[in-house]
Amino acid sequence: MAQTLLITRPEHEEAMFYLSRWSTTIIEEAKRKGINVVDLHKQKANRKKVIGILEKRIPKLAVLNGHGSESAVAGHDNKTILKEGDTKAVKSKIFFARSCKSTKSLGQDAINNGATAYLGYKEDFWLFYSENKIFKPLEDKTAELFLEPSNYVPIALLKGHTAGQANSKSKARFIKNIEKLIIEGPASDNYYAIRYLLWDMTHQVCLGNKDAVF
Amino acid sequence: MTEETKASEHETSKDIKELVIARLDVLPPGKKVSIGSVGEFDKNELIEHVRKDDEIGQKIIEVELNYLRALKEGTLLNKLLVPQEE
Repeated sequence: MAQTLLITRPEHEEAMFYLSRWSTTIIEEAKRKGINVVDLHKQKANRKKVIGILEKRIPKLAVLNGHGSESAVAGHDNKTILKEGDTKAVKSKIFFARSCKSTKSLGQDAINNGATAYLGYKEDFWLFYSENKIFKPLEDKTAELFLEPSNYVPIALLKGHTAGQANSKSKARFIKNIEKLIIEGPASDNYYAIRYLLWDMTHQVCLGNKDAVF
Repeated sequence: MTEETKASEHETSKDIKELVIARLDVLPPGKKVSIGSVGEFDKNELIEHVRKDDEIGQKIIEVELNYLRALKEGTLLNKLLVPQEE
């Protein structure tokens, strides 16, 4: 039986639109690998659907895009989709939450309640983008510096790497982008982004079983 | 401890604010940043928050200082020199 990936893609504001569009590359990779994708797009990224699907234990991997806090991750219209205490929903799943701060408390709570691994950010996730590309996020070279490395967490998991490897491979991609900008020097339009890439990379963590695989 | 003393502990020094503003001032035009659930900002808005030294301004300062510390302490250089997994 094919594995299943759950992904949430709210699009109610510019940053969410970017995360959503960049997540299509994760979906494409999953489909190439013959993995079933439950794509909760726009209004479908709501708590009722997310909890319903997670509690049926269908997906082994859940990618949550949205705003976050230490204790919750949000979906469409910034409404909570996963929070501390959702014990049944997190059991035996690998999570990647592309949202702020959720590894601080929600991630550990999920691990304590049986999640296999929880990858995400322990501080705010910074994302720079170009105003002239807001309708074409996948063509935005500035956003790519942040979202391609971040995307590589779930992509590495889909390729069969462990949770720990997915985290370190993603960080290697952040470093590669930092190196590229250092080589290009201050004349680069994105030279300033180095400090923000370093921030995101430093605060991306993997909790739980680092040997867990999808 | 008086309220004034507590407040001054969180107040960012003028030198640091000026340093951060000078660094933000070279951001190219036409870029925006999303800082998690805090919001989306352009360059002038970032600078304004640093000037006001509000909660958002302090986040911006923290990121700048984190980078400058990584340069000073060599942690960024170490990350660049240590072979990465891919």
